[in-house]
Amino acid sequence: MRIAVLSGKGGTGKTFISVNLAYVIKNAAYLDCDVEEPNGDLYFKGDKIVKQVDVDIPVIDHDACTLCGKCADFCRFNALAIIIDKVRVFSSLCHSCGGCKLVCPVSAITEVKKSIGTIKETEFEGHRVIGGEMNIKEETGVKIIDEIIEISKDILEDVVIDCPPGNGCSVMGSIKNADYCLLVAEPTIFGLHNLKMVYELTQVFEKKVGIVINKASQHKIINDFAESENIEVLLEVPFDKELGLINSNGEIAAKDMKYKHFFEKLADKLLVRKV
Amino acid sequence: MKKLLILSGKGGTGKTTFASNFINISKARVFADCDVEAPNLHLVSAIKDVKKRENYYGLDKSVIDQEHCIQCGLCKESCKFSAISFADSMYEINKHMCEGCGVCNYVCPVNAISFVKYIDGEICLYEDRQVFTTAELQMGSGNSGLLVTKVKKNMQEYIKEDDLVIIDGPPGIGCPVIASMSGVDMILLVAEPSVSGISDLKRIIKTATSFHLPIAICINKHNLNSRLTNEIIKYTKENKYNFVGKVGYHKAIIDSINNGVFLEENSKAYKEIKEVYINTLKIFS
Amino acid sequence: MIIVIPTKTSGEKSFISENFGRANYFYVYDTQKQIGETYINEHLDNPHGVGIKTAEFVLKHKADIIISPRIGEKSMELLRGNVKVFIPNDSIVKENIKDFLDGNLKELI
Repeated sequence: MRIAVLSGKGGTGKTFISVNLAYVIKNAAYLDCDVEEPNGDLYFKGDKIVKQVDVDIPVIDHDACTLCGKCADFCRFNALAIIIDKVRVFSSLCHSCGGCKLVCPVSAITEVKKSIGTIKETEFEGHRVIGGEMNIKEETGVKIIDEIIEISKDILEDVVIDCPPGNGCSVMGSIKNADYCLLVAEPTIFGLHNLKMVYELTQVFEKKVGIVINKASQHKIINDFAESENIEVLLEVPFDKELGLINSNGEIAAKDMKYKHFFEKLADKLLVRKV
Repeated sequence: MKKLLILSGKGGTGKTTFASNFINISKARVFADCDVEAPNLHLVSAIKDVKKRENYYGLDKSVIDQEHCIQCGLCKESCKFSAISFADSMYEINKHMCEGCGVCNYVCPVNAISFVKYIDGEICLYEDRQVFTTAELQMGSGNSGLLVTKVKKNMQEYIKEDDLVIIDGPPGIGCPVIASMSGVDMILLVAEPSVSGISDLKRIIKTATSFHLPIAICINKHNLNSRLTNEIIKYTKENKYNFVGKVGYHKAIIDSINNGVFLEENSKAYKEIKEVYINTLKIFS
Repeated sequence: MIIVIPTKTSGEKSFISENFGRANYFYVYDTQKQIGETYINEHLDNPHGVGIKTAEFVLKHKADIIISPRIGEKSMELLRGNVKVFIPNDSIVKENIKDFLDGNLKELI
């Protein structure tokens, strides 16, 4: 089963839930798709195998270039510009669409590979851990996420996918082939607002969903929403200072018998759905 | 007139909590929410009258005119974003996956593909005695520095000489954050005592200082990890950054948000936030 | 000498824009001819790479000086060596040009 863990905003406990869930499911793989702020490896420490992720970017043959400007005009991302007497390429803006190469009348444009980030793999107590990290100054990490999902296609064991925050295109890439989406929310009006946003996204892609309430309190705002939309609340993790401390120090809470049962219960409920 | 921008790097550290309380304490007349991917400030702001709504258009996207399509499949072949699919004997462009590069328009031999305007979000202006600008991006839209700039421009005409303008910023360190920094006078960074919070704090400091903007740092939820709180304070001292105080994790703060009321003035939470507010203004005056 | 200034409205009485790439207009002033002209920023609503297009605009006008409170990294990278950037005062375009010519503006580093 492939379980994607999402939340509308950052800091609600996505990584906390995914890390501990993956930890209690035997041999489950953990994928860190939050490539802008990857934090999963703060928990799953270990030696890593690193692989570069490349995209194609244009290079200009300045001898052949006639400075006609067609490439710069075509590029909708403004990744090319005529600066004094040369066409310059701004690779961080390039979306690798290949358009400039197509429109160049004198075939002065070819493509080369450029690294936009890395994928790191490690083994942690029987769990395969795959995480991506985007290079600083890049604008989008979607290609890295695609690559992580591609690598994970061969995994036969259960998979937990720690998604990026928000409801943008990188989240769409992360949940692409998930069987189930687990939505993490805190019981505040902020939490509810962001939950609705991300729930809408999962419905466009017709995903099965369930909710985890983190820092659960007397305030039943998320439960009420879940009931009205007919979504199951699979787990409520009460606010607990000690639990918060363990997590903020980058430790796996499920290693502690006191907290293990939360995640085991969650795993049981999820894996029952496996077909 | 001074513009104070509140940022954090990591999400969920309490930016909006600080912003809404600062607005209350300072009786700010003009404020804005630049977290366009997950705006929240409108949920706690006292102004409910929307004066103006306008659509925000991002990059145009491509669409196939089925009547003229000869089904050659060249577009699907050339699309680097796998946005074109063939089903029910029709080529179609998925608007969520299309990045609007225009390659398919170019390769189509019968000119059956054109650009259409694409609504990427909405910009809102609230006004009564106060003025508040905000925006929300559509699902599936990427980060947007342009929308952030529009939100800030929207409030510009309302700002008077002696106003303190408070801006709730976006998370992360990318393009929207950089856009939110333009034209501001000072930045308050809200840090959280956790290993991930510290690593994100260092990244945002790097971004902010590279624009030569004065920064101050405060800690939220300090009592959740005193060891890491001390580590942050030590870090700010060693690097000579302005430290303006710490606020604990208080149930009262969550309750005040959920119940849509301001913190009681004699509560511990209010006093701690007010102290951060006063120290922040001292630094920047 | 050619001076480029990002502005909020058109003409020499305009105030200076806080943004460079996303300014509404650019005021281009020729100190020899003592003539200024206002250009609409065509890339104002473009989500991508406005800094680059603005730098392209500045270089196309063979400018020597920019008066702007800040400038993006990408523009700066392209303009470095060709154009100097000066920090404006709080006043209108005309006053800034005067202050610059009198040597009263500081260079942005």
